[in-house]
Amino acid sequence: MDLKKYEKLAALNLSEEEEKRISKDLTDIINYFEVLKEVNTDNIEPLVYTKGAKLFMRKDEKQKSLDKELLKKNRELFNSNFYRVKKIIGD
Amino acid sequence: MDILNKTAEEVASIARSGEVSVKEIAEQMINAIKQKDSKIKAFIHIDFDAVIKRAEELDTKKDKSGVLFGVPIAIKDNMNMKNTETTAGSKILSGYTSPYDATVVEKLKNAGALIVGKTNMDEFAMGSSTENSAFFNTHNPVNPEYVPGGSSGGSAAAVKANEVIASLGSDTGGSIREPAAFCGVTGLKPTYGRVSRYGLIAFASSLDQIGPFGKTVKDTAIMLNAIAGFDPRDETSVQTEKEDFTALIGKNIKGKKIGVIKEVQDFKLQEEVKNSFNDTVKALQNAGAVVEEVSIPHLKYALPVYYIIAPAEASANLARFDGVRYGLRVEGKDLKETYEKTRTEGFGTEVKRRILIGTFTLSAGYYDAYYLKASKVRRLISNDFEKAFSKVDALVLPTTSTTAFKLGSITNPLQMYMNDIFTIPISLAGLPAISIPTGTDKKGLPIGMQLVGKWFAEKELLQIAYTVEQELGGKNGI
Amino acid sequence: MEYKPTIGLEIHVQLATKTKIFCGCSTEFGAEPNTNVCPVCLGLPGALPVLNEKVVEYGTKLGLALNMRINKTSTFYRKNYFYPDLPKGYQITQYSIPIASEGFLEVKTSKGKKKIRILRGHIEEDSGKSIHTGDITESEYSYIDFNRSGVPLMEIVTYPDIETAEEAYEFLVLLRKTVRYLGVSSGDMEKGALRCDVNISVSKGETLGTKVEIKNLNSFRSVRRALEFEINRQIETLKKGGKIVQETRHLDERTGETKPMRTKEELNDYRYFPEPDLPPLTLTDEYIEKIKETIPELPNEKEERFIKEYGISEDYAHEIAASIEVAEYFEEAAKLTGKPKEVSNYLMVNIMKFINENGKSIKEITFGAKEFKELLDLIDSKTISKNIAKSVLEESLSSGKTPSQIVEEKGLKQITDTGEIEKVIDEVIKENPKPVSQYLEGKKQVMGFLIGQIMKKTRGKANPKIASKILIEKLNALK
Ligand SMILES: [Zn+2]
Repeated sequence: MDLKKYEKLAALNLSEEEEKRISKDLTDIINYFEVLKEVNTDNIEPLVYTKGAKLFMRKDEKQKSLDKELLKKNRELFNSNFYRVKKIIGD
Repeated sequence: MDILNKTAEEVASIARSGEVSVKEIAEQMINAIKQKDSKIKAFIHIDFDAVIKRAEELDTKKDKSGVLFGVPIAIKDNMNMKNTETTAGSKILSGYTSPYDATVVEKLKNAGALIVGKTNMDEFAMGSSTENSAFFNTHNPVNPEYVPGGSSGGSAAAVKANEVIASLGSDTGGSIREPAAFCGVTGLKPTYGRVSRYGLIAFASSLDQIGPFGKTVKDTAIMLNAIAGFDPRDETSVQTEKEDFTALIGKNIKGKKIGVIKEVQDFKLQEEVKNSFNDTVKALQNAGAVVEEVSIPHLKYALPVYYIIAPAEASANLARFDGVRYGLRVEGKDLKETYEKTRTEGFGTEVKRRILIGTFTLSAGYYDAYYLKASKVRRLISNDFEKAFSKVDALVLPTTSTTAFKLGSITNPLQMYMNDIFTIPISLAGLPAISIPTGTDKKGLPIGMQLVGKWFAEKELLQIAYTVEQELGGKNGI
Repeated sequence: MEYKPTIGLEIHVQLATKTKIFCGCSTEFGAEPNTNVCPVCLGLPGALPVLNEKVVEYGTKLGLALNMRINKTSTFYRKNYFYPDLPKGYQITQYSIPIASEGFLEVKTSKGKKKIRILRGHIEEDSGKSIHTGDITESEYSYIDFNRSGVPLMEIVTYPDIETAEEAYEFLVLLRKTVRYLGVSSGDMEKGALRCDVNISVSKGETLGTKVEIKNLNSFRSVRRALEFEINRQIETLKKGGKIVQETRHLDERTGETKPMRTKEELNDYRYFPEPDLPPLTLTDEYIEKIKETIPELPNEKEERFIKEYGISEDYAHEIAASIEVAEYFEEAAKLTGKPKEVSNYLMVNIMKFINENGKSIKEITFGAKEFKELLDLIDSKTISKNIAKSVLEESLSSGKTPSQIVEEKGLKQITDTGEIEKVIDEVIKENPKPVSQYLEGKKQVMGFLIGQIMKKTRGKANPKIASKILIEKLNALK
């Protein structure tokens, strides 16, 4: 397993030591999954939603939005109410 | 009057009658917490002044009819409560102030409950011992050298230690039932869709379900009355008719058919657990139930299925923790580095491990072999249960194969995952299940048995569980 | 053999609902940043999506109007990637089974009609908006507004049936007409309510060439320019023996050239999987039938009917049918007056000019079918001439007065009283001895001049037919 690739996809960057530790665990765990190969799943539909699941739809009606003071409790806003992040592409 | 030893049912009636004020109840609870929690460490966040204020508000209320009126209740820290810190046991959310109430919090408030505080848990509910909390370990009140189980370890321990009367946990693969068994309290995982997940910080959305811990089966039924119901804010909550989950409690179970799962015998059980299982079966028979064997042929595949599906969903659910809008943010030289630093420092090892498994099993080239395959086997497991339930009304099996283990004694993740071997299959099918204390081992550690009901048949499940509780009660000092 | 372009379009249509797809926040454009946000569209922990029924209604309607099959069960998926304006770290979209599949639009181009097939139409949520102050490469920060996060979109993906920039342009124009006819989207490209990405390759023969994507085209003109440039660039590159690189490009609006986008080295693995928070969307036959009944006659059908039923010119029919409001206006007036050709003429020449010059919409003008009838009746009864009618129409458009009111107030009634006309003719004959004698000598061309003089004296109000008849009589009497 190319751990680096999945770290990148998951926006993680593990230290070498952590990589070593996790790498072994992951290999063991993924090997453990192999047992599923012995199950015949031909013509079996995957199950994602359990019994009784039924989508319902809400009316197109406005609801109160969050007060910005509540947003500010968790992050400073800039330039009249924008979230701010460092630019996307590094040097 | 000492209310600490009382049940939720009793406390509500005392508070309602005005015999003891809610404020006094709150003060007794606070004293108990102050006295015990430095050792147990069940709570992550608790604001005593706020609790007293809420208690005073309840005392001024004219309408005292709420089913949980004045009952001190703790909630697991993955449930949002407006204007309080909600961390899900993670450093990445430390300091996060929730701007809204989860549906269950609203419902508890409407039922007149006195919400006391937030309990410790494995980070993002990933774990079976509460040792994955980013903050500290919680200790088993029965013996502090042992884990309380997890991930809802704090909620189970708080009830066991009489720090609160009841509590809420969440169960994805066993996170209510396993700590209930380890701590010796009753824990109910309702049918998936029975209780709204709105405001519950998601671990694995297709499995997560909120449920109660209580001292008795009846208390969990009363708690379920307060929190169950369709919620227009949760598309996976199911529209069902309003029920009183205590309705069948005390009714005899003569002629009910109870299944024991043949494949459970393939797993090694701790001797005392095995004995307690046999006691439970006898108790059921004594009460007039007919016990017969059923088969869940795909039982042994449940664990790998779960450890593919749950991390896959988690890898997406935890992508929102990017440091942009809330929670921890560790600045890097650019955005990418900020993401990586924030998430690498903010998540603990087990969470990172599962995010990476999930990212892998969903990735191009592996999706069919892992995620899709697991979803298909999940269908087979669910079909197995459906077939079993065409023959029986409920199933009985141990909640865990062993009693609680010592803090720090399990370091291998796979070995840790094995703790949930009997709870996970039920979660995959979305069935309701309850763990009740049925005995203790030589060291005095509690043993829990699991009863599983049909989909949305909590009422009948609680009826059977109550009967077992009564049959075994005297013997176990419950 | 010549190089042939192969073009496919991916168009995001913003659905005109009041609230977002999965929460009750307003979709209003231009609100103060981060004020139309809630736990759901801000991706706060614990929040869950709930589907807006209007999104499904509009999606179904648009699918049907694009001749697509509505899938009775469709599913939502999570598309995973990190971007600061994507609050949950995934986008909820439809993947394996979209709400609508397999349709087409028939476009008209200078080379005739062409059917462009549509592969799929799926509903999804929009992301927030990142704003970069100053130059993207120099500014240290990006600023993010989540008001747009969760705004409903329907993505329309065509087959690569398009072969020219004109076809692409006409497809977009017809799509915009259609969404406006249906009322499911404003179709305003400048407000981002219609966004278009194109895929283009050129090749000789059967094997397709290397595909280039052009992103973020924000006007009809940009789509056309970008394609014209890109087709040419690719052909020229290949002719010189060069190779086309598979890449994403954007249009430089100043130069009209497409340029490679500066991309971060990125792994494109979106790890789609079924959205566990949203069970499948199921629609009944009755529901689909009910939506079908609400679909109005669409632009192409209307255009053809106008030609057949009213005998108006193809060009006028095309222009009139471009907007449902104009088409409805036309049809009402055509029916009331019974003179569709005249109505189409006045509408396309005078009324559209007034509307364009004054920045008004057809709904805002007071000159409606009733006024049209009044105007045409005035011409019919010879109360006013066609010339006068034009100025009466213009006056009516700008003042809001009715045609008869204007004719009355300004005394524009045509003079048909022969006695009065005779008086004027006598004056004209007297004042113009030279042309009169020329006429008598046989120069019939001077008639026009003399009639002109009569009209001048009556300020155009003399009935030209009566005037010329009397004039000839009087001149002949002089012989
Ligand atoms: Zn919102």
